[in-house]
Amino acid sequence: MISLHKITKRFNNKVALNDVTFEAKRGEIVGFLGPNGAGKTTTMRLILGYLTPSSGTVRVNGYNPIEDRIKVLKTVGYLPENNPLYQDMKVNEYISFISSLKHEKHPEQILNMTGLEEVKNVKIEELSRGFKQRVGLASALCGNPDILILDEPTSGLDPIEQEKIRDLIKKLSRQKCIIFSTHILSEIEEIAHKVIIIHKGKKVFDGIKPKNKGSIDKLFKKVVS
Amino acid sequence: MKPMLTLFRKELNYYVNNVLGYIVIILFAVFANFLFMKDVFVVGSASLRPFFSIIPWLFLVFIPAVVMRSFAEEKKQNTIEVLLTLPLTESQIVIAKFASYFILVLASLLLTFSLPVSFSFLARLYIPEILIGYLGCLFLASSFISVSMYFSVLTKNQIISFLASAFTLFILLGISTELISSLLPKMVQDILIYFSPIYHFQNFIKGIVDLRSVYFFLSITFLFVFLTVVHLEKRD
Repeated sequence: MISLHKITKRFNNKVALNDVTFEAKRGEIVGFLGPNGAGKTTTMRLILGYLTPSSGTVRVNGYNPIEDRIKVLKTVGYLPENNPLYQDMKVNEYISFISSLKHEKHPEQILNMTGLEEVKNVKIEELSRGFKQRVGLASALCGNPDILILDEPTSGLDPIEQEKIRDLIKKLSRQKCIIFSTHILSEIEEIAHKVIIIHKGKKVFDGIKPKNKGSIDKLFKKVVS
Repeated sequence: MKPMLTLFRKELNYYVNNVLGYIVIILFAVFANFLFMKDVFVVGSASLRPFFSIIPWLFLVFIPAVVMRSFAEEKKQNTIEVLLTLPLTESQIVIAKFASYFILVLASLLLTFSLPVSFSFLARLYIPEILIGYLGCLFLASSFISVSMYFSVLTKNQIISFLASAFTLFILLGISTELISSLLPKMVQDILIYFSPIYHFQNFIKGIVDLRSVYFFLSITFLFVFLTVVHLEKRD
C-alpha cells in the first residue's frame, strides 16, 4: 500500500531524511518511533504529498502523491501533528464538511464511533483536548480510507483517553494500513505490528515488534544511542 | 465542482455565523453612505458618480481587511495542512475562497442600493449608468480580492497581509492621481495610468463598458489568482 524508496528530504541545506526506504501493507499497524526532530512528521507529510522529496520515490497504492495527489488523498485519512482544526466550527459542521469532501455518506456513524455524539453541537474551541483529538481522528476516518496516517494520535491525552484511541486504532487495523507516530514506547508494544525507528533523519530499525515486554525500550535505547 | 462548493459554503459560513461578518458589511455600507451623503446637498446634483468615485478608496481598506485572513490564518493555525491534505486541488481552494469573498463584497454593495432607490424619488436617474457603475465595482472588487489573497498566502501574519495588500493597492490607485502624474514625464504618465484601476473604473462610472477596462480587471484577477495557486502548489 505504501512504499518509500531511497527518500531523502532536505530543507535548504539541512537533511531532514536521509535515504529512507520502507513498506507498509494492508492490515499492518506501523509504529513510527524517534526522538523529536528525527523526521517522523516529514516522512508522513511526504507520504501525503504535502512535501516533495528531494530524491527517491514515494508510492501510495501505486500512485505518486505529488503527480496523483487527489487520487492518493481520497484513500488516505490524516491526523496531523498538533491536530489543527477549524476552531470556530461546531463538531458536526466540521465532520460534515470533511465528509462532504471525502464522500462519507454516514457522518453520524463516524461521530458515534469516535464518541462525539454528546458534543456534536459544541464549537470545537470549547472542547477539551481529548475531544479535540477525537474530532481530528473522526475527520481522518471520514470516507473510510484504506490508509490512516496518525501523527501522535494520543499526544497530550490522559491515560483513559489514550486507551480509548488505542482500542479504536486496533479495531480499525484489520482492513487498513495504519501508520502512527508516538513517543510512548508502551503504545508501540501494545498496538503496532511493525516498528520503524528514525533517528537524525535515518532509518535505524525496521522490523517486527519485539514480543517481550520492555524489549522495545531496550531496542530504542540501543539504536538511538 | 462539488468539493469547491463545499469549501465555498464553509468559507461563507464563517461570516454568516459570525457577528464579525455583519459588522464588516454594515460598516462598509455606513461609511459608503455617509461619505457620499455628507456632500450631496452641497453639490446639489442628483448623480451617483461621486458615490462610485469613493468606492475604490473604501475598497482599499475594506477588501484587504476582509481577505487578509484567507490564507494567513490557515497558515497560522496550520489548518492549511488539513486543507492541503483533503482531496481538493489548489485551484479549487483558491477559487472557492475567492468566490466567498466576492459574495461578501456583493452583499456589502447591495446595502448601498438604498442610495439610488432614495435618489430616484428626488430626481430621474439613468438606471443603466448606475447598473454599469455597480458592475464596475464588482470588477474592481474582484481584482482587489485576488491581490489581497495573494499577499495573504505569502505570510502567516494577517497584519502583514493587510498592510502589504493595502499598500500595493494604494500605489496602483495613486499612480493615476494628478498629484503623482504631474511629477512624471508624459510618456511615463500614459503608461502608468493604463495600470491604474481608477482610470479603468472611471469608464464604468460614466456608464461605459469599455472592453479594455474589462480585460484589465480580469487580467489582474486571473494573474493574482494564478500566483496564489502557484504559491500553494509549492511543496517545500
